[in-house]
This record gives sequence, structure tokens and C-alpha cells, in this order.
Amino acid sequence: MAPPPSSLYTLSFFLAALTTLLVCASLRLLAILPRTPFRPQPIRRKPIATRVLIVLGSGGHTHEMFYLLRELDTSKYTHRTYVVSSGDAFSAQRAVEFEGELEVREKARLRRKEELEEEEDEKLEGQNGKIATQNEERQACTGPDHYNVATVPRARHIYQSILTTPVSSLWTLWKSFPPLLAAPPLLPDQSPQTPYEAAAQDLPDLILTNGPATGVIIVLGSLILRFFNLRGANSRGKCKTVYVESFARVKTLSLSGKLLLRVVDRFVVQWEALEGKGGRAEFWGVLV
Amino acid sequence: MAASWTLTEGSPMKVCFVTTGATAPFTALIESLLEPSSLDALREGGYTHLLIQFGTAKDVFETRAQAARNYLQQQGNETFAIGGMDFDPNGLREQFKLVQQSKGLVISHAGSGSILATLRYQIPLVVVPNDQLLDNHQEELAIAMERSNYLLRGDVKNLAPAIQKSADFRIKMAQFPPITSGKHRETKSFAAIMDETMGFLD
Repeated sequence: MAPPPSSLYTLSFFLAALTTLLVCASLRLLAILPRTPFRPQPIRRKPIATRVLIVLGSGGHTHEMFYLLRELDTSKYTHRTYVVSSGDAFSAQRAVEFEGELEVREKARLRRKEELEEEEDEKLEGQNGKIATQNEERQACTGPDHYNVATVPRARHIYQSILTTPVSSLWTLWKSFPPLLAAPPLLPDQSPQTPYEAAAQDLPDLILTNGPATGVIIVLGSLILRFFNLRGANSRGKCKTVYVESFARVKTLSLSGKLLLRVVDRFVVQWEALEGKGGRAEFWGVLV
Repeated sequence: MAASWTLTEGSPMKVCFVTTGATAPFTALIESLLEPSSLDALREGGYTHLLIQFGTAKDVFETRAQAARNYLQQQGNETFAIGGMDFDPNGLREQFKLVQQSKGLVISHAGSGSILATLRYQIPLVVVPNDQLLDNHQEELAIAMERSNYLLRGDVKNLAPAIQKSADFRIKMAQFPPITSGKHRETKSFAAIMDETMGFLD
């Protein structure tokens, strides 16, 4: 004889359900959290277009981030989303400047290449009249269509009480999902027309942060996406995270570093004394 | 005024540029630089110009600079110029270029931003950690950077030894950012780290 349904509403039933849920959640967390230490795994086919999400912070963090990104290859990282805290006009401005520099650099490179090709063409024509210019090179992606600046509310204002910080952090977390999920389309309500636009309106492939509090919250947001495999965040291998500890931290990790040490896919430090922290901090020399 | 100092052909010019940080004024550094001992060390090193970015400590700079000028006059030296400038939100590109061209020297507080900005110009740098700041990592960073031969460390109580050392340091200073920073280890650029993480291995 089956027990009546009311017998399900007992304390022991809830405890059992809660335990099952906890066990499942822990197993899921173990499954999505990174292996220790990082081992590069080559992919079979390089995607044509990717999106990288870059978290900018207060002055120092932003400066260092752009030093890190100085060799950014826009033909591989075709869309950049810069996340800044509300009120941080400096970082937003630096992002626009940096993209401007990328554009100028790319134009100069193209001009040089054209000149070289012209010279070569002349030579070749002199020899046998054959022009061989195969263009298998990936296209560089610079200009306003290939980046966006997203703003999230500040996690903690200066002089804000420590008691209300969790509340404002939750608000930041909530507001960090839109930039995590997609960059805004070029035209409102337009479906992507090119692979580049499709990548831009998809989850980021890579998330870069170097220490601002917003970065910790964005990484937490990406973990939630991976935990529930929202939009295939986990199964498609999206939202890979890289944390770079500040160049100014020589012997001890920053608070953001300590929080993210076991969570990010790669944890990179810039001084030898920090190598191997948490069994996974990598050191490859000064990077900035 | 001071920013418009220009390098002219024929007239020897050697600039020492001092930056004290935008947030907390490092008045002890300004005071120490305008002491007779520092001024003597600079003149012995062949310096002709001292340019100080005083930030918010304008009053301190003006009174000390006047005293320093009086001292120089007593010594019969009229050519050594002392100038000051406010915090410049547009960065210090012009000042660094001037130092670079005149084969001069930068003396800076030990903030990581100033260090990174200065070293890009391949100019000798003396950093002076602010001993008034509690719980910060300036000292650690300065020691680590000096050990790697990127810069020299100066003592705010007596800057003359660091200024004297900087003449030889110009020759042996290490390139920054490092191309291969370790003697026995593989180094990578951040671009390579990004590619690896994505699985873009060629």
C-alpha cells in the first residue's frame, strides 16, 4: 500500500532532498571547475570568429590590462567586450583609445603590405608575367563594429558600509549577465549576418581579468552559466577564464587573486615568488 | 612653463625629471631632492635641469625650490634650472621624451603605474618607496625590480648615492618589458597565453 502524499511533507523528506541537491551541486561544481594545473589542449578547427570579454577596473588595473593586450591579434579575437564599472569614465575612454590604436596599427600594416606586394608584382612581371597573391590570411577585425563597452554597477562604492556590500554585489552580478550573454547587435533586433556578428552575439570564448572587484563578480557569473550549462556555456567550452595577478604583487596575492585562485581556468602571476600558489599559479615572466 | 623646455643643438642639456604620484603627495621626496646634497650630486652628474611634478604639493615645492635656487646662487651656479609642473592628466609622454633625448634620469615614487610608464622609454629610473605609507607593496616591488636590474632604489633620506649610481646603471640596465627574462626558463607573452587557453596552437 502506497503511503499517502501528505507523508512527503516531513522533515526527513526535506533533509533527504536537500542532501541530494547538495551532493549533486558539489559534483557539478567539481565537474566544471578547472583541472589542476592548466594543460593546453589544441582544438581541431579554429573558429573564424571569437568574442573576448575584458574586465577593466580602476586606473592601475586598466593600465596594466592594456599593457597585457598590447599584442592583441584582432584576426583571432574578432570581438572585444570591455566591461567597466559605472562612473569609471577613464577606463571606458582608454578602451576606445586602445581600439583606435588597433585600427591605426592595422591600417599601417595593410599599407606596408600593399607596398611590398606592388614591389613583388613588378619583379614577378619582369620575370614571367605571373602574379601570385594568395590571400589565405585571416581578416583583422578592427573598428567600432568589432568592440563594445558595457557598463555594470559598481560592486562597492567608496565609503559604502560593509553590510550593504553583499546586496550591491548581487545587483552587479545580476547586471553582469547581459554583457556575458551577448554583445548588442549592430542594428537593433537584427539577427547576425556574418560569423563575426554571430560570435559577438554569443557567449564570450575568453574572459580576462586582472584584479578589480567587478572581475570577481563577472567570473562568478560565468561560473553560474557553466554550472547550468546555459546556452551551452559548458558543453561548447565557452567562458574560459584567465586571471593575471597585478605586476605590483610580488610576494602575496591580492584579495581578488585569493578569491579566484581555484576558480579560473588559468591563474597567471608575474613574480617568481608567487609561482605555484594554490598548486596552480603559473609564472611566465613579467607580462605587462 | 617647464614642459616647454626644448632640446637645442649645441647647448648641452641633461634633464632629471621627478614624478611624485597623483593620489597621495610625496612631499618628502620633493624636499629631499631640493636638499644641497642632492643638488650637488645632480650637478656633478652633469645635469642642467631639474623638473619636478609636484602634484598637489605646490606650496612645498615653491618654498623649497626658492631655497635651492638661493643655495645654487651662493655656490656661483646660475645655469642649473629648477622647474615645477602640476599633475598632467594627459600623461607624461613629453617629459619622458625630453629625458630620453637628453640622456637624463627619472626619479619616481614607487607606484607600479609610474614604473611601467617610465621603463617603456628605456631611461634610467630611480624609485623611492614612500616609507610613510603603511601596508603597501611599493617596497617589495622596488626590491624585486632592482634585483632584476630594471631600476635603482633610492632612499628618501639621502638621494645622492642613487643619483651617483645612475650614471653607470644606464649601461647595464635590463630591457623592459623583458624579451627573455629568465636565464633558465621559458618565457611567454600574454598573447601566447591567450592563444594557448583558447587551444590556438600552431
